This record gives sequence, C-alpha cells and structure tokens, in this order.
Amino acid sequence: MSDNLLLSLLWALPLAGSVLVLLVPGRSDLAVKGTALGVSALTFALSLVAFSSYLSGGLAETPLADRAALNTLTVAEGTGAVSLVDEPGDLVFRGPWIPYFRIQYFLGLDGISLSLVLLTGLISLLACLASWGIDRSVKGYFSLFLLLLASMMGVFLALDLFLFFVFFEFMLLPMYFLIGVWGGARKEYAAIKFLLYTLFGSVFILVAILVLYFYAPDGAEPLHTFDALRLMARTEHFTGTIFGFGVQSVVFALLLIGFLIKLPAVPFHTWLPDAHVEAPTPISMILAGILLKVGGYGLIRLAWPLAPVGAFELSWVVAVLGVVGILYGALAAMAQTDFKRLVAYSSVSHMGYVTLGLAAMNLIDPRYYSYGVNGAMYMMIAHGITSAGMFFLVGVVYDRLHTRDLGQLGGLMNAMPVFGGVTMLIFFGSMGLPGLCGFVAEVFVVLSAFNYSYGLAILAAAAVVLTAGYILWALQRVLLGRNDSHRGLPDMSMREVAVAAPLVVLTVWLGLFPQSVLGWVGPSVDRVVAAVASANGAMPEAEEVALSDAAGGSSR
Amino acid sequence: MMDAWQGWLYVAAVVIPLAAFVVQILGLRLFRKQTALIATGAIASSLILSAIGFGSYFIASGGMPSPHAEGHEGESPEASPAAAGAFSEGRAAPLAWSGNWTWVSLGRGLLPDRQPLAIPIGIRIDALAVLMFLMVTFIATLIHVYSMEYMEGDPRYPRFFAYLSLFCFSMLGLVASSSVFLVFVFWELVGICSYLLIGFWYEDRSNSDAANKAFIVNRIGDVGMLVGLGLLWTQLGTFDIAEINAGLSAVEARQGDALGRITSEDPGAVWNVMIGGTERSIPHWILVLAGLGIFAGCVGKSAQFPLHVWLPDAMAGPTPVSALIHAATMVAAGVYLVGRFFPLFSAEVLLVIAYTGGITLFLAATIALVQVDYKKVLAYSTVSQLGFMMLALGVGGWAAGLFHLLTHAFFKALLFLGAGSVHHAVHTYDLRPLGGLRRKMPVTAATMLIGTLAISGVPLFSGFYSKDAILASAIHFVSERPGHALLLVLPASGAAMTAFYMFRMWFLLFTGSSRGWSAAGLAPEHGQRDDPAALAHESGPRITWPLRILAVPTVMIGWPLTILPLAVAGLPFHPVLEDWLSSAAPLPAQPLGSAQSWAAATSLLVLVVGVGLAFLAYHPSKTIRRIDPARMAAHLGGLYSLFVNSWYFDEVYQALVVRPCLAIGRRAAWVDRVVIDGIIDGLAAITVALSRLDRAIDASVVDRLVSLVAGMIYVLGGVGRRLQTGRLRSYLMVLSIAFVLLSVGVLVWVVR
Repeated sequence: MSDNLLLSLLWALPLAGSVLVLLVPGRSDLAVKGTALGVSALTFALSLVAFSSYLSGGLAETPLADRAALNTLTVAEGTGAVSLVDEPGDLVFRGPWIPYFRIQYFLGLDGISLSLVLLTGLISLLACLASWGIDRSVKGYFSLFLLLLASMMGVFLALDLFLFFVFFEFMLLPMYFLIGVWGGARKEYAAIKFLLYTLFGSVFILVAILVLYFYAPDGAEPLHTFDALRLMARTEHFTGTIFGFGVQSVVFALLLIGFLIKLPAVPFHTWLPDAHVEAPTPISMILAGILLKVGGYGLIRLAWPLAPVGAFELSWVVAVLGVVGILYGALAAMAQTDFKRLVAYSSVSHMGYVTLGLAAMNLIDPRYYSYGVNGAMYMMIAHGITSAGMFFLVGVVYDRLHTRDLGQLGGLMNAMPVFGGVTMLIFFGSMGLPGLCGFVAEVFVVLSAFNYSYGLAILAAAAVVLTAGYILWALQRVLLGRNDSHRGLPDMSMREVAVAAPLVVLTVWLGLFPQSVLGWVGPSVDRVVAAVASANGAMPEAEEVALSDAAGGSSR
Repeated sequence: MMDAWQGWLYVAAVVIPLAAFVVQILGLRLFRKQTALIATGAIASSLILSAIGFGSYFIASGGMPSPHAEGHEGESPEASPAAAGAFSEGRAAPLAWSGNWTWVSLGRGLLPDRQPLAIPIGIRIDALAVLMFLMVTFIATLIHVYSMEYMEGDPRYPRFFAYLSLFCFSMLGLVASSSVFLVFVFWELVGICSYLLIGFWYEDRSNSDAANKAFIVNRIGDVGMLVGLGLLWTQLGTFDIAEINAGLSAVEARQGDALGRITSEDPGAVWNVMIGGTERSIPHWILVLAGLGIFAGCVGKSAQFPLHVWLPDAMAGPTPVSALIHAATMVAAGVYLVGRFFPLFSAEVLLVIAYTGGITLFLAATIALVQVDYKKVLAYSTVSQLGFMMLALGVGGWAAGLFHLLTHAFFKALLFLGAGSVHHAVHTYDLRPLGGLRRKMPVTAATMLIGTLAISGVPLFSGFYSKDAILASAIHFVSERPGHALLLVLPASGAAMTAFYMFRMWFLLFTGSSRGWSAAGLAPEHGQRDDPAALAHESGPRITWPLRILAVPTVMIGWPLTILPLAVAGLPFHPVLEDWLSSAAPLPAQPLGSAQSWAAATSLLVLVVGVGLAFLAYHPSKTIRRIDPARMAAHLGGLYSLFVNSWYFDEVYQALVVRPCLAIGRRAAWVDRVVIDGIIDGLAAITVALSRLDRAIDASVVDRLVSLVAGMIYVLGGVGRRLQTGRLRSYLMVLSIAFVLLSVGVLVWVVR
C-alpha cells in the first residue's frame, strides 16, 4: 500500500464512514451501529498495518526528518505544474494542497505520532462498542463519532502546520455536538464552555503558526513555509525579538498556552470536569483517552522542537505549572462527591506529569531528560488506557444505578465481582502501582525531575500519597462495604467485558514490559530530546563526570 | 545474564507463586477450594527450591565460617587506622549469585561516547537473602496450611489464597532484588497485597479504613524512598545495591570514624565513589538526604515511629495474614532493606535510625502494656521488636539486627498463629472475659508459652540470643559515645516491658479460670454467651501442627554451637546464625569486647524484673502475694491514659494531616467552582453583555445612521424626481446651461 493511500485512508476512511452511516437505509439502529463499528474496526486495522510496516521497515531507526527529506514536492514557478517524489514504504507523504501559500498535504508517522494513532484507533473502537446503548438520533451520533475519529487521526498524521491546524479545529465541531446533544443535564453549558475554551486556545496556536510562517528565516529571506519539519531544522537561525521578547519565547509561549488549555493544565482546566461529567460515557472515554493527548502531542511535537530555546528559557514556568497541576488535581479529586468528576480531576493531575516530564530540562546529561520526555509520552499512552477504562467503568455503574453520587454507591464488589476486579485493576493502574502502566510513566517523570530541581521533584513525589488517597477512597466508596439495595445487580455483560478486556490486558502489559513500547517510541522521543538539547548548545560537548553504564548485566 | 545455576533456582522460587496467583485469579470460579492446594503447592515448591539453594550456598561458600573470625581480625588493636578501605579489601567478597537484565533503556546516542541510560532488573542472592528465602518460604508454607482450616467456610476462601500467592511472589521478589528500584517495585506490591488482605472482610467499614490507612501511611514513607531513589540515580547513575555498597564502603571518610561510619563536619564535602569502574561524586549532604529518604521508606514499611500507626489497625485482617505479613515478613522488609543497603547510611543517618528504633520500641512497648485485645498486644509488640532491630542496625550491630529479624519472624509468627487458634475457639480478641484456656487448648497454650519465653528473652530460647546481641551492640556504641546513653536505656527498659506484657497476656489467656463477660463488666460481643471460653476446644491438626513445627525453630535457631550461654561466665560464645550473618556483613563488624558480658547480665536482669512483675500481678496463684493491676494503673496516673490511647497519635494525625488535606482539597474544588469558573463565566457574561450593548448601539446608532442616509437619499431622490419631467425642451435647456457654464469655466481656467 502506498504511503499516500495508507496515511490518507487513516483519516479518510472514518470520514467516508460518517457519510456512509447517514446513508444506511431504513430505521434499523443495529445496521447503523454495525456500520460504525465496522468502520472503526477497519480504521484500527489500518493503524495496525501502519504499525507493522513501521516495525518491519525499521523506520524507528531513521529520523522522521530524514525520511521526509526524501519526499520532495516542487511546484514550477510559471506553470504551477506539480512534481512530487514519494519514497515508498516510509510512512511519509508530501502532496500539494494550496501551492500559493506553500501549504502542503504533508502526512507522516514516527514513534510519537504512531503510538497515538494506535491509541486513537483502539480507544475509538472500544468507545464505539461502548456506544451500543445510545438510543437517541443514532445516525447522527455515529456520523459525528466517525467524523471525530477522522479529525483526531488527521491531527496526529499532519506534519504541515496549516493542515494540523485545520484538523485541530475540526475536532471541536463533532465534539461540541456530541456533548451538546447526547450529554447530561447541563450539556449546553458544558458544550459551549468546551468549545469556546478550546477555540480561545486555538487563537494562540494560529498566531504562533503565522509568526513562524512570516519570521522563520532561510538565510536572509523568510522561509514562508508551514512545513513543521523544515521549520524545526531552522530553529538555530530563528532569533530576533518581538516587542522585546525573543521570538522563540513568544512562539513557545503562544503554543504553550494553546496546548495547555487542551491538555488541560491548571489553571486552564475547568472546562474538563464539566465536559466529562456531561458527556455520554463513550465520549468521555474519547475525551480523556485521546483528546487530552492532542494537547500533550502538540507540546512534544510542535512546541518544544519549534522553539527549543524558548522552551528552555520558560521551562521553569512549565515545570511549576506541572507540579501545581499534579497536586491541585489530586487535591481537588479528593474533594469530589461525583464519581465521574473525581475521575476527571484525576486526569488533570496525571496530565501534570506530562507537563513536568517535558519541562524537566536538565540538558547537562540529556539522557536523564530523555527519561522525563519518555515518561511524559508514556503517561499519555498509559493515561489514555486507564482513563478511558475508568470512564467506561463509571458508565457501567451509571447505566445500572443512574447515579454517580459516591455517597450512594458502595458494596458493588459483592454485587458485581467481575466489575469489582476490573475496577480495582484499572484504578490501581491509574494510581501508579508497580507492574501496571501508570507506574512506569510516573516514576520516570519523577526520577527525571530530580535532575532538574530537587524541590519540584520532591513535591511531585509527595503527590503519590494524594493519588493513593483519592483512588483508594473512591474504591472504598464504590466497591467496598455492604449495600443490600445493590444486591442482584447484573454483573458486566459480554459486551462490557469485551470493552474492558483490552484495557485490562494493556494496563498490565505496559506496566510489565515498557520496553515493548519504548523500544520504538523512545528513538523518536530521543531525537526530539537531542534536537532540543543541541539547539540549546548542550549536546556536542559531553561533560566530564563519567557515568557508569547502567546498561544492565551484560558486563556483570 | 545469570552467573550461576542457583540464580535460576531462586528466579523459579520467586516466579512460581506468581504463576500460581495468575492461575488462581483467572480460575477463581473453576477451582473454588482447589486454589488452596495450588497456592500451598506453589509456596511449598519455593520452600524446596530455597532449601536446595541454602544447601548449595552452604557448600559453595565453604561451610560454616570459623567463629569469631571477625572478632579476632578487629581486635588486633590499631587495625582500624588501616582504614575502611583496607577493611573491605582485606576481606574476600562474600559469595553472591546475581543476574541482571535490561528492563528499560533510553537516551541512546544522546551523549556521543556513552551508553544509553538503562534501568535493569535483576536478582542478587547473598547470604542474607538465602536465609531470608528460607525463613519466608518456611513460615509462608506453614501459614498456608494453617489458613486452610482457619479460613474454612469463608465465602471468599479461594480469593484469600490467590492474594497469599501474590504476596509470596512480591515478598520473595523483594528479598531477591538486586537494585533498589526493583525493591521499590516489590515494596509497593507487598503494600497492595497487605491492603487487599487487611481489607479482606471489606463489608465492615472499619476494615477497609484500616486497609486504606495502611497503604497511605506506607506511601508517605514511599515518598521518601522515591526521593532517595531520585537522588541516588541522579548522583550515581545506578540503582544497583551491590555497586553502590561497594563504592560507598571504600569512601575515605570512613577512616576518621572509630565505628567505620561516613562522617563529615562539612556538609558540602564531596565524596568520590567508584561505581562499576567509573568515578562519580556525591556531596555529603545529598548522601545524607538520600539515606534519610531510603530510611523513610523503611520507617513506613517497618512501622517505625512516627509512621507506626498503621500496623495496629492492620490487625483487622485475618490472623494468618497478620502472622505472615504483619509480623514475620513484610514489616521486616524495612529492616531488611536497611541491612541490605547498610553502607549507604552515613553517621548522621545511622544515629537517626538508632533513635527512631529506640523511640519506637519504647513507645510501642508502653502501649502494649495496657492493651486488652490480645492481638493488639502482639501488634504493638511487633512494632516494638522492629524498633529493636532498627536500633541494632543504627548502632552498628548489623548482624545483631538481622539476627533478631530472623528469630523474631519465627516466634512472632508462632504467637500470632497461636492467637488465631485462640480466636478460632472463642471468637473474641478481648483478654478480659477469657482465662484458663490451658486445659482446653493444651497445644496452643504450650506453643504460645514457648513463643512467650522466646520473645521475653529467656536463656536457651532464640530471642534471648538475638536480644542479647542487640544489647551488646548498644552497650558497645554507648561506651564509645557516652552522650547517647539513651540508646541503652530505651532497649533495656523496652526488654523489661516486653517480658512483662507478654507474660501478662499469657497468664490472662491460659491460667486461672474463665472470667466471663459480665464479671469483666462488659457486654458480650456479637450476642455471644457470657463465657466465651465455655465451648472452646483445641483447634484441628492443620492449625496445631504448624504451631508445633514453628515451636522448633523458635527454640533452636538462636543456639550457639555450645548451646549454653557461656558469656555469663565470661567465655566467648556466638550463636551460629549470628556468625553466619556477620560473615556476610557489607561492612566489617566492630569488635564488641566486654560489651557481651555486660549485655548478658543486663538482659537477664531486665528479664527477671519484667517476668517477675507480670507474675506478681497476673498469676492466679493465691500463694504468691499479688499486685493489683488496677492499683498499678492508678500509680501510672495520666501516663496510663496516654498508653491506652496509644499516645494520641491517631488523633494528632487526624487533626494535623488528614483534615487539613481534605480541607485543602475542598478548597481547591471551591477555587475551581467559584474562582476560576467564576472568572470564565464572568468573562462569558461580559461578552454577552457587550454583544447586547453592541446590538443596542446597532439599533440606536448605526441603524439610525443607515436609516438617515437612506432617508436623505430618498429625499434627494424625491428632489431629483422633479427634475425628471420627461420633456425634451427642459432637458435641452439644462444641457445648454451646463454647456455654457462648463465653457465659461474652461475659458476662465485657460485665461488665468
């Protein structure tokens, strides 16, 4: 399959699916759901195809920029005739889109984006399966659902800033309607809050993109390109000031605000609890599992590499925001009485680790920083799995009891043992219990933070107590105790088990064998680290303190 | 890569219980009661493997070390100026089997000439680990057998054994770990097993509260541990315990200290440490901080002051769990880690460890004196004994502390299992209505008496030797540092109290006759009859046989080769086990000299005081003039209520930590709801108001302007319409006038 076909299908297939769903004849809800499920499954299968060709092609070893350089696009000055070279099998495609502004249809995958594409495929498939209970305007729901899937895929695929921005904005639309139409009691408020909040952030991103377009130099001339990779390669020339601030600092700050709102980081987070509480269960899964990752992805893919010097200058602000987020989210989670709101705040806390991991920029020995960025990346994947699972489990309870009030739950362990076991495991995964996925991310970030600032690292480490506090307390209020009114509740159905099982397996697998993911994500992350470090002048000269190779027992 | 076949043996011993756990948890409904057999079979195979490993280690390391080898070496007076470096180099490295594999490796190519930074996982089996394996698997196997009867009829019987298997895996993994990172992993895993088993009967709110408390208090310690991990990793670039130990053992600063500790007047002093062939450096204050951090983890896990509060509550779990996890194995893990990582701790930290142990053992002993719940007596006694071990390590008695860990594991497991046997018969943990059970439960009574004799430190029983070793270390330390006399007073008085409260418990349970609820002035629990012991009878064989079997090591493992405690007569003597341990010590032991004789005398003295008082106060015999316990309590006055209320730790923590935390959490949620959302909603409201204003301006100003313009055009149009007369003549006239005007204009312009 050519790169163009494969990469384009990843977003075009669900887009076509969203139209197809509307065309399903008759009033059969099952046919609509089946079609949507089929399209989601196919999309996931496509992401697996991309994954296998990434692995079999050994693409983890070649930097994305090198691969992209082989795919060229030239537009003849006078005639506008397009000639493009597409290197087959490298998961990069560069095509023309709006040649006048040098906007390209530029798609590509590396470890960072591929892991999130896989996550998107999987979580969407599971969310689609979890949407079986939707009974209102089924066609509209699934059409919007697939539209959302298409735009999320596009965000992770795009390497042209303009294209990225188009997908980024387009995501909001289906989400707005999915919350606003199929949501809970305060759905209009939550939907409009979500929409305006994120649109507000988008403005900053747009300005940053335009600044890059007009300012980024190519020798004496401005570069005038939206090609993210070319811009990244030019960062060392990207100096000068805007209103007395360094251009890089300005660009970084703009991108940072935009993506921190999406992440979300304290104090830009209050759209999240409302959106989560009001959204229907599968949409909460997507929101927590994927949409929040768009923020983190934007930071790691764009903000840091596009403005590495600015990032380094502002890193302490970001690190403080991260630690504040971790603690604030955990404390706020502890005070919640609504099960879903508690889980939502746990997301705020966990996304703080992403921010901190990225910001722990000690560049003296970038290998430690690499642990921070990899930890942040791992947190996105791990949180994508556990938080989707947590929201799903909240939904399972809500479907049966029609309440999320922690005061009224309790005793579910005895009534629903399978549910109890799954809940314990997923929540422990979120708590950062060793052997489960959250631990790896958390511990990498905290350990790496010790290379940046002892104070912040100790505060971040202290958060594990709060995390244990709110998770265990929540489990106690939901599962434990005795509650005779819940006796006889049906345990999880086969469909529900089918949704939960992959999440459970991944929670354990990612906790035990992190190298199975980091083996192909890590090289891409390390290249980001290397680029950031060398842009700040830290890379070439290795400092004098000798390090042992803790490379394992091969020598021992 | 594993360097010896025995390593694989131990990997198997660790992994078999995990496999058993997976099989059980996936087949909960399939196997039902067979899970007990799966779990027991798994841990029994681990026991067999550990025994083979022990034998193999014994042979490979050349059998028994010659007694006093350490002592003689050190006694040559000024051997110590030859310095710590020479100390460790002079000794052949103790035998250890190890294997390490890369778990995660990141940062390839980030530094041109360096390897990627990896986190390895691996095992390291040294003499201490060999003994710990044997102890853990032995006790765990017996407790599995015991639980089959004790837990019979419980609706979650299969799950209980699944959890036990998970625990065994985690505990054995902890013992085997080669790196402190992996220790942390298993540290948390044993913590979660403890959580699951304390809250095993989660229908009762108090049980799940206790489970939460245990896990969260442990996590407070774990924060310290994480800090220690981070600091060590940052400074030394490795987590490997053996590497760090080797590097720190050779640090020059040990030379200046008579006790071979790392001391420095200047916190900023930087030590150069050889780690795996490369030199790294670590400032003294960071080393102290890292040591305190790691120790904080041990404080949590081993229930030391000030984090001891979780262990008494943990007794909410089933009694076999209390015996296995909360007495013999998991709670000793903190002591084990301090022992394992001993060279890490500098002089300041060791002093903190010693005082923490001393305070803990004293506090817990005072509380144990007045408990009316016999399981709580044992719980506080466990806390107190763990304090003894910590104190021993802190004063440099490495072998003594770990020796006590091993002896304590056996006699405390025995005591807890005995307590469980009693509860199985009488269904209450309250001492007050009970009594006279000796006749009804002879095996339980006899074995518990053996345990009591051991823990009180009666000669010929194992506890005597280990406690004696601890006191000897303390005396030696105090004689070197007379300013720290408290470190001798605390354990000596603690030992006396131990003898007192243990005999008090035994007398109240087993001697005299049953008192009954009403005589004790209490209402019966759970609708029991007045005399809870009325129907009591000896438990079945699956309970009594583990008791009998445990009684054997309880007596014997402390024995020196000559059996008799000849130190009293001034002759040297050493328990076999202690010798074996000290031959494996990471730092060379200190010669104790005359401290041993003093210690023996002290321990006998405190024993007589403690047992004597208990005898006078609680023995039912009429011939001995009795002390009235109530009058003793009255003499203690305010102290008595302090002890009964456990020094008010729970209340203080509730007020200073828990409630403020919740309050801050609520405040954070309030800030979100009111402040941040207030700003957001306010901005939205302002925007809406602005757009309303805009609409009003549109309607009143802009629209009017537009209408005005339109109106004017209309008027003009009206005027213009009048011009449109349609008559050719008037058009021509206008045209000609215009032409004339234009021509005149042009003419004027040209002429000028």
